[in-house]
Amino acid sequence: MSTTATANLIEAKDLTLRYGRSKVALERASFSIPKGRVVGLLGHNGAGKTSLMKALVGLLPGEGELSVLGLDPRRQRGALLEQLCYIPDVAVLPRWAKVSELMTLMSGLQPRFSAQRARDLLKRTSVAEGDRVKNLSKGMVVQVHLALIAAIDARLMILDEPTLGLDVISRKGFYEMLIDEWCDGERSVLISTHQVEEVESLLSDVMMLDEGRLVLNISLEDIDQRFTALSHDATLADEFAAAHPLLRYRQSGGRSAVIFDGAPPAALAGMGERIRPSLVDLFMALTRNPALHSKSA
Amino acid sequence: MPTWNDSAPIYQQLADRLAVQLLDGSPPEGDALPSVRQLASTYLINPLTVSRALQALVDNGLIESRRGMGMYVTAGARLRLLHSEREQFLQKEWPTLRAKLQRLGLGANDLKWEQNQ
Repeated sequence: MSTTATANLIEAKDLTLRYGRSKVALERASFSIPKGRVVGLLGHNGAGKTSLMKALVGLLPGEGELSVLGLDPRRQRGALLEQLCYIPDVAVLPRWAKVSELMTLMSGLQPRFSAQRARDLLKRTSVAEGDRVKNLSKGMVVQVHLALIAAIDARLMILDEPTLGLDVISRKGFYEMLIDEWCDGERSVLISTHQVEEVESLLSDVMMLDEGRLVLNISLEDIDQRFTALSHDATLADEFAAAHPLLRYRQSGGRSAVIFDGAPPAALAGMGERIRPSLVDLFMALTRNPALHSKSA
Repeated sequence: MPTWNDSAPIYQQLADRLAVQLLDGSPPEGDALPSVRQLASTYLINPLTVSRALQALVDNGLIESRRGMGMYVTAGARLRLLHSEREQFLQKEWPTLRAKLQRLGLGANDLKWEQNQ
């Protein structure tokens, strides 16, 4: 067990999570996250993203096998929380506190927290140590939160929708801090988000959840190998539809495109131009949006 | 934020952008490229994707890895690049452009070649 723990920061096998007696939040998911990765966790609301992240930090019991940093999140939660950084989707910082007071608090709570590192990270932002949380914008609060969390000497960071409700400038600042200050080839981060297009270039891997099932778990490099996207003239739509692609969509400029899982039928390969299957298109192809399907159900 | 289109994989688009800069002499031959971390930060791209882009340039003989020191522009990289870019233009872009010029009835004298030089 210790050998797999050193190779992978997270190891899950047939992990099932339940809410109450009957509702299944995650169904027999198996995956691993090695070091040095930026893993995007994508899914519609209610797909199981938050449940999975809670289970990883020991807040939700599960069936199956789960090891995080070589520890059992439920039984060894205290030891685990000293070694990982977690920002839940409901995270709030106390509004009355000064940033400097939060740093003092963190120093007392977290043995691996470095106040000096937090100060260095804060210098990237427009926030001063004397500022009170209640006087900061939403984007600044998130940056303070990330600075505090990233100042923990840990190998794994888990972020549940950190950019929710932020404007584009704040999101960019957040991504820059993540790439500059966290990605060092050793540490990994698991990040859930709805900003699929924005985070695509930041990711090394992606996990997609659809109604509790892990429908895709792949590196960005392998996406280019496995999936084929073909752009074609709209007049050829019937031929392409007949080959049952994973997804058909309209491109800007009046052309159409399809995505195949694997190579397209040989007859069609010459009729279209090969393009990059984007993450957002794959997401559309592989997951069902409950908001769109609820009416017909 | 830097934008990437769906014409090619992101690492390929980054490799193409870096190649255009090499063609403009930035950085010049024999000089070092920015580090993987710097490029990742500049373009907001995962470092592994940056490494793939650099490997593509290595495979084309435009840059080389010097142990422990990073990536350097090879001698003759600019000329090699210029040659392949010219080939690419003549084979892929020029036929379309020529057809359009002919359709519009534009000849060499109408193009005012030297004006912007």
